[in-house]
Amino acid sequence: MLLRVFLILLLIPMHSWANPVAQRGKALYMKQCAECHGDKGEGVEDEYDEPLYGDRTVVDLAKVIHDTMPDYAPEECADEDAQAVAAYIHEAFYSAEARARNRPVRIDLVRLTAAQHAQSVADLVASFRWQPKAEAARGLQARYYDDRRTRRDKMKLERVDPTIDFDFGEASPLPGEIGEEAFAIEWTGSLMVEETGDYQFSVRTENGFKLYLNSDTDTPLIDGWVSSGEMVEPKATVKLLGGWAYPVRLEYFKFKDKSASVELRWKPPHGVNEIIPTTTLRPTAAPPVMVLQTPFPPDDRSLGYVRGSAVSKAWGRAVTSAALETADHVARHLRDLADLPRRRSEAPENETEKIQAFCETLVSRAFRRPLTEEDREHFVRQHFCEDTPHDVAVKRVVLLALQSPQFLFPELSPAADSWKLVSRLSTYLYDGLPDAQLRDAGKKGWLGSADAVRKEAARLLDHPTARAKVRTFFLHWLHLDDEHDLTKDHQLFPGFDASTIADFRQSLTLFIDDVVWSERSDYQELLLGNDLFLNADLANFLGHGTMTGDTFRKVSFDPKARSGVLTHPYLLARFAYHQSTSPIHRGVFMARQVLGRSLKPPPEAIEFDDAHFDPSLTMRQKVTDLTKSRACMNCHSIINPLGFSLEHFDATGRYRFRDRHAPIDPVSEFGTQDGRSLTIRGPRDVAVHAAHSPTAHRGFIQHLFEHLVKQPVNAYGMNTLDTLHQDFVASQFNIRALIVEIATLAAMHDSPSNQATSTDHEPKNL
Amino acid sequence: MNLRTSNRRQFLRDIGLSTAALPFFSGLPSLRAAQASGKKQRLVIMISPNGTVPKAFWPDATGTDFDFKEILKPLESYRDRMLVLHGLSNKVRGDGDSHMRGMSCLLTGKELFPGNIQGGSHTPAGWCSGISIDQEIKNHYQSREESRTRFGSLEFGVGVPDRADPWTRMVYSGPNKPVGAIDDPYQMFNKLYGQVQDREHLGSILDDLQTDLKRLKGMVSAEDRQLLEDHADFVRAMETDLQAAEEQKLHHAAPELEPGVSDTNDNIPEISRMQIDLMVNAFANDMARVSTLQYTNSVGQARMRWLGINEGHHGLSHEPDDNEDAQKKLVKINTWFAEQLAYLVTKLSNTPEPGADGSMLDHTTIVWTNELGKGNSHTLRNIPFVLVGDGFGFEMGRSLKFDDEAHNRLWMAFAHGAQHHVESFGNPKLCQGGALDLA
Repeated sequence: MLLRVFLILLLIPMHSWANPVAQRGKALYMKQCAECHGDKGEGVEDEYDEPLYGDRTVVDLAKVIHDTMPDYAPEECADEDAQAVAAYIHEAFYSAEARARNRPVRIDLVRLTAAQHAQSVADLVASFRWQPKAEAARGLQARYYDDRRTRRDKMKLERVDPTIDFDFGEASPLPGEIGEEAFAIEWTGSLMVEETGDYQFSVRTENGFKLYLNSDTDTPLIDGWVSSGEMVEPKATVKLLGGWAYPVRLEYFKFKDKSASVELRWKPPHGVNEIIPTTTLRPTAAPPVMVLQTPFPPDDRSLGYVRGSAVSKAWGRAVTSAALETADHVARHLRDLADLPRRRSEAPENETEKIQAFCETLVSRAFRRPLTEEDREHFVRQHFCEDTPHDVAVKRVVLLALQSPQFLFPELSPAADSWKLVSRLSTYLYDGLPDAQLRDAGKKGWLGSADAVRKEAARLLDHPTARAKVRTFFLHWLHLDDEHDLTKDHQLFPGFDASTIADFRQSLTLFIDDVVWSERSDYQELLLGNDLFLNADLANFLGHGTMTGDTFRKVSFDPKARSGVLTHPYLLARFAYHQSTSPIHRGVFMARQVLGRSLKPPPEAIEFDDAHFDPSLTMRQKVTDLTKSRACMNCHSIINPLGFSLEHFDATGRYRFRDRHAPIDPVSEFGTQDGRSLTIRGPRDVAVHAAHSPTAHRGFIQHLFEHLVKQPVNAYGMNTLDTLHQDFVASQFNIRALIVEIATLAAMHDSPSNQATSTDHEPKNL
Repeated sequence: MNLRTSNRRQFLRDIGLSTAALPFFSGLPSLRAAQASGKKQRLVIMISPNGTVPKAFWPDATGTDFDFKEILKPLESYRDRMLVLHGLSNKVRGDGDSHMRGMSCLLTGKELFPGNIQGGSHTPAGWCSGISIDQEIKNHYQSREESRTRFGSLEFGVGVPDRADPWTRMVYSGPNKPVGAIDDPYQMFNKLYGQVQDREHLGSILDDLQTDLKRLKGMVSAEDRQLLEDHADFVRAMETDLQAAEEQKLHHAAPELEPGVSDTNDNIPEISRMQIDLMVNAFANDMARVSTLQYTNSVGQARMRWLGINEGHHGLSHEPDDNEDAQKKLVKINTWFAEQLAYLVTKLSNTPEPGADGSMLDHTTIVWTNELGKGNSHTLRNIPFVLVGDGFGFEMGRSLKFDDEAHNRLWMAFAHGAQHHVESFGNPKLCQGGALDLA
């Protein structure tokens, strides 16, 4: 693509080694260092094969060179010489800026990731179904009947039940109106889930029931209609996508059983078997959602974010299998999706034309742009021959369209037009296809200005699927999106069981949601806030007063003790061992994710072996001893102080005053990236530093950009990060404003108003 | 080669089940060579509801020279392949009315659990507390390498209502574990041949996909082109896989189903035929050795308008013996069921046994039975049992009369016929005397 070539040219910056100090440094480097480190610091095999890069300042670097280099005679490069070499290598290849300059990145053609694939297919099918409205009410609509069947004339009570968790015993649910020997209840509504994954549903009852969930037919997910009066809890697992509402219906009855009770339960991803909470239930209906069940191979995340950078045979098979699954779904629901009368006998005369038109719309929505005449023929019309039944033709259309690169590679079309713009917005903000309003904008081209695009982005960000994507980002940023066993030693940490762990995860996501979706959406609040969301169990576990009930409430802590996500027990438990804390894991996490510092992998892998140490030592003493060598301290001078600052929190995130019998010492001196020394007395000092550190901000912005756009931020120009940083500061660190800004900037980077070069690429296919 | 021609489609349609590499091609049966040891055996259990009309059903004579009453007439040409067993009763008692026990205890020989489902009389009940004989024999076959098949058993239905309760379920994989019949031939076709069909659709669009890829490759920069070339390679590999699938063919091609036969009362004759075709085809391709064929359900109300009968079957079955019109109609209805059996028998008899001598009927035992002995009395005595075919090596060509023996003993004989030597089946108290001696 021509545009990309221009972009790359623009990326090559002016840099000045005209500076005489650096020139002298270059000469010295070539003479004394290049033999082992390579001409460009790339490393030399059998000498020093690690490339030279890092985030030390020039001053810091000069000190290391002065002290240690060349390793056969450190005195040969000292003082001003060391400063000159440091200045040269910092500028030429050591710093992050130099690396970015030397390896200019480009916007690669990428395919849909597995998550984008699933979301796009769900969007595609949903675009032909009715759209549920946002619903403020919670719970399920309930109808109670004085009969074992749901006979309309026997309905005695209609209300909204917050949960389905009833034990009627031998009594009637409504004494006086409903008999106790035989009655029926029907609950209907929808279920909104926030996370993508496998959900296990179950109904616990001794009576009869049928549970329908995301059912596109009359087949129940679980059929327990016939029962023997014994308590059972049959289960069924389905995959659901986060940010969607799914239709749910539970039909329940009692007939002559001794007692009556019913519980609607689930086990969500990362959760435990529990009564489905009120917050996820809606009393209004929703249409079924097409959720791909085909498993996809994991996507590349070698750069720290998930992206569709490579195709493999396994991916090719998954695409085919997913296309077959979708084709089957569309063919089965053709009459519904194409808006045809249900009975074939009432088929309109122009049915073939109607189905063809439906197919054309479907293909164009999958491709995120209108079809050309040639496309219409190729993708749709040629498949409708006289001897081909409609459902077969439709299946072929879907199979072809969903395996076409035009669906799989959203950026494929070279036209930088309004369709490209809207498809980028939907891809960046919720991984899916443009909704009705975006399609209208694509068609009529009314998204001309950056402000108009921002407004659209802000609108889309309110959509549940966009919120789900933002939530996924935070879990990814905090390294909580992988499967990680958080269970601890039961003897040392009684009460930290699966249910407590699941509750803490929910507590963390509640805190993040509370910050991100509040008016201020303040990134600094994420680090500095001194609230935790607790229910009775968690408050009890943390020894924090007495609370009652399962409902989470915001509880304020002493700001000296706790600080935002950094001290959230879920995170602290994630970065800890089975029996003890891990200052190294906590420190590495804070350095990389929270402070945006770059750390190299350790020169040699040393495992922390607790048994190896004198048991009377504190964790801090053990880690200090383990990492005391100069080679280790290159990075551990950054890692250890951060990790030690959290030593007041045990392996479950509970506050402690002692490690074994020694009092906790959380205080250290810490070298900031700009060369200052900072005394850290606890997590709040780290949080305050991060909240005001441009390096930390830029790290956060870069993570967020890459999560949303799935491209390296530098590919959009060397200044992109600066621009976004300025906006971020100006908005008082408003996260949502940042998301809107990222989406707008990335979506418009090559739009005609931004660049004069795109005139050659007038859309031809409209 | 132009993939879009009908030849290409025909070619793909003829592609057999294979070991092709794509995952959605996996799990297909491989064709077994003839069994090295032991004769291949199959079991079919066919059930129709609401009892029979005894006087138009049971032969008067016993022994080899028995007579054919009106209902069994369609089977007369198979006299020497048949065994008509009179005097067997479903003696299971306990919870549930006769219809519920007639259906859910017929193949299990065991009581229903107490429960919340109320019949027309008697106490309410739940699911059956035992496994059904077809599943027992299926498990036996599946446990041994030489008789293991892809599905083990297939449960066919015709006009079975879309609800699960003791009236609609006769197959149980264990206590409290009813197995529903598939009464939509297209759904059954999908289960049996869906992967073949998917491949057929896939094959028909591969050329188009390559064309699309070729065209789009021109649109992207050199750096990005590799990704699309890789993608095109997979599509080519898929085509090779599909062609490799040609190497292995189905012994019998999948039947061509007439499209668009909806699951309605009036289509029952058509659906019955389609299901039997699918069953014989699945047997020929050795996808299963056990099958059930369930017509409607206990208390089934099929309206056999194609026989000139507008009343529902169950309603008619309640009419007293002296209602001649009703009797005539019930004879007609039961004769129609016998015709379905005859269609199945003929089909098996006309199909050579793959990899062995003789016909498929020589390797198959079919039993046609009923939930009740007689409709208007709801009796569970003298349940009809008509056996056809030589799967289990019984001595055929006879009419036998027993003196009110528990039908559990018949299922024991079936298990023994399948080389599965059980000591009892269902309720052990109903197994006194052991397996019926039918050899």
